[in-house]
Amino acid sequence: MTTATLGAGRPRSLGRVPGLRYAITPIALCGVLLALYAWLGAQNLDSIESRSLTREVLFAKAVEHIQMTLVATALVVVIAIPLGIVASRARNRLITPVILTVANLGQAIPCIGLLVLCTFLLGVGFQTALVGLVAYAVLPVLRNTMVGVQQVDPALIEAARGMGMTRGQILRRVELKLAVPAILAGLRTALVLTVGVATLGAFVAAGGFGELIINGLKLNRMPVTIAGAVLTASIAFFIDWLGGLAENLLKPRGI
Amino acid sequence: MNFSEYVVSRWDTLSLAAGEHALVVGVAIGVSTAVGVGIGLLAHDLPKTRGISLAISAAILTVPSLALLTLLIPITGLGWGSTLVALTAYAFLPIIRNTVAGLRGVDASMVEAGRGMGMSRTRVLLKVRLPLAWPLILTGVRVATQMLIGIAAIAAYVDGPGLGTQIFEGLSRLGSVNALNATLAGTLGIVVIAVLFDLFFFAVRQLTIPRGLRVRS
Amino acid sequence: MFDRDTGGASIELRALTKHYPGQPAPAVDHVDLDIPAGELVVFVGPSGCGKTTTMKMINRLVEPTSGEIRIGGEDVLSLHPDELRRHIGYAIQQVGLFPHLTIGQNIGLVPNLLGWSAAKTADRVEELLSLVNLEASAFHDRYPRELSGGQQQRVGVARALAADPPVMLMDEPFGATDPITREHLQNEFVKLQKQLRKTIIFVTHDFEEAIKLGDRIAVLKERSHIAQYDTPANILANPADDYVAGFIGADATLKRLALLRVADVECGQQPGSANLPQIAADASLREALDVMLAHGTDRCGSPSGVLTYGALCEAVGTEPAPAPRLQSVGSGSTPVRTAPVPDAARGEAVGT
Repeated sequence: MTTATLGAGRPRSLGRVPGLRYAITPIALCGVLLALYAWLGAQNLDSIESRSLTREVLFAKAVEHIQMTLVATALVVVIAIPLGIVASRARNRLITPVILTVANLGQAIPCIGLLVLCTFLLGVGFQTALVGLVAYAVLPVLRNTMVGVQQVDPALIEAARGMGMTRGQILRRVELKLAVPAILAGLRTALVLTVGVATLGAFVAAGGFGELIINGLKLNRMPVTIAGAVLTASIAFFIDWLGGLAENLLKPRGI
Repeated sequence: MNFSEYVVSRWDTLSLAAGEHALVVGVAIGVSTAVGVGIGLLAHDLPKTRGISLAISAAILTVPSLALLTLLIPITGLGWGSTLVALTAYAFLPIIRNTVAGLRGVDASMVEAGRGMGMSRTRVLLKVRLPLAWPLILTGVRVATQMLIGIAAIAAYVDGPGLGTQIFEGLSRLGSVNALNATLAGTLGIVVIAVLFDLFFFAVRQLTIPRGLRVRS
Repeated sequence: MFDRDTGGASIELRALTKHYPGQPAPAVDHVDLDIPAGELVVFVGPSGCGKTTTMKMINRLVEPTSGEIRIGGEDVLSLHPDELRRHIGYAIQQVGLFPHLTIGQNIGLVPNLLGWSAAKTADRVEELLSLVNLEASAFHDRYPRELSGGQQQRVGVARALAADPPVMLMDEPFGATDPITREHLQNEFVKLQKQLRKTIIFVTHDFEEAIKLGDRIAVLKERSHIAQYDTPANILANPADDYVAGFIGADATLKRLALLRVADVECGQQPGSANLPQIAADASLREALDVMLAHGTDRCGSPSGVLTYGALCEAVGTEPAPAPRLQSVGSGSTPVRTAPVPDAARGEAVGT
């Protein structure tokens, strides 16, 4: 946007992204998954176990898990960022402490309780899990957006006003750009939170890797549970890794 | 049976579960604070150790709670053992991070003043850095506690103690008369515990933070 | 916007008042001021006297309660505030460079807001960087955090100049730099303004800076009342009241000497000037006096002749009283007092 219209050329990189650091997570994850595969292969799986761990089942669970996470996160972005911006405006600053308090208290509401309560209203299934996930992840993003925008140095706002930027331009070109790191950090937190809570989606029949854990425990088949747990953890690390990459790519240079 | 009747009739079970919930969180947070602050004190000045301890505690927090709890079953068994280990491990990140940030955030001039009047490094750490970092450390412990209270609910699924049992009871009896009551009792009970812990930390804050740091400039 | 024939546009303030709601007294009370086009006027006064508020009303960062502002004859209050600000340069003490934009993007921001073409903006950015003595190729793509304080201030000035505004408002733009950098920036800025002739309002609480930079100085009291509005030389020579005199300090005459160059004073051609301590033509008279004191003489040599102590006195408008002269008699070096000097006369000659 601004970069293109100002014709200011490509910004020089401020310190290179250390490639090795970003390679560690995927390499470690591959190792863990290979170990899991080898371990499962060495077990004498009975019919129930092998039926729960076919390629098709695992693929379907992965899709369900990722779908839940991404749809919930997308909804959180759509809901929480605009609300955070509205809450950050000067005339709305009175509600800042209210949001911060609710955000902190909301953390204390157990997500499993929230999910089960949602099923009383909406029945079991994907939508229920989604409502629970979104309700749980909105607050951190809302809070980070609000705080991120409010933290922008007042001298910069004054400079922007002094050079004749409109309120909208100041918001888009200065305040939001400078709040990006805070917003992204909030989103990454929300994303990791959502991957974890999505595991609990299995309790309300929304699928995901949590289902393997629960079924394994119910049927007393430890290999299934272990496979589910390792896969859940792997997907959480993978999403967190993606979040870290996105954070570095989207962060404005110079900050 | 409405909600209040349910709470009254199950008061013994509920209060016992609430007590256990608070206890397991309290023990976990106690262990985690002792170890975490210790690690913070040792590591705040050593970039490598600091980086590694923060990376490991962040990685632990990335593992979804249900996964960590079930992965612990083969090692620490069902129930209290796995619950305590998992909760303690989860609390490390906020505590270590805030301890390190607090100790490192102390104004360099104050450290220099302490050194200048002849205090040893250890003395500066304990007499200058630690008191000044204490508010931030306390915040870290508080945040960790709130988080653990929520996670402890899930531990009920691996036969852990606490109010989570009520929530899972509600889930397993979906459609029955008391399903909603049990879930509500578990969820609200946990919120009440969270509020009580917060009040406790508020009191600790008032009692332990030096007056000079509380007065507004 | 703003008709102008020179680099700048005139500014008129009429009964300009700002009364914040809930305050007993107005922060700025009926200020009247005429600033001729192309002049640099310094608002100087203690903190809280309303000088910044007065300045900010001109680009309407602070909306006046009542009164009139005209720039180049045009009523500022009838214009759209954002549009108005795009045509007024603005530099502040904190500089306020946007950390997420490169230096080039920071400077090109106002041209961009005004809808200039990319090519025109790029040319202008290049031109401005060299104007403030920063090498375009080295600084264009850097980020503000990579620059020193002094460099950031220069970029701040360049950014304020970006759209070639007739009027610039500067709020202690060199206030946050160390004394050496500040002196350097001031010197550069004086040269720059000689070349550009913008109409500039410059706010500072540093009277030395005011003398150094201002074509005129407005000494402000509380509520932005103007205690005196005149050229630096006139204010130093004839302070309007005790308030202004107090602001100048005890060394008014020395400050006046600092405003005058050796080249401005007539030097008598006398033989033997080669043996005297030498002073450059573009040095100030204050420096000349310093040389005389350091060498214990009452004269020094300049490229155009001999500069005497008497000439210094004349330059600041005092009678060169028969000062104690140190004269060599014959080959001996015993100083002889040629005329008795009453103490009072000596006091007057030195000036108080």
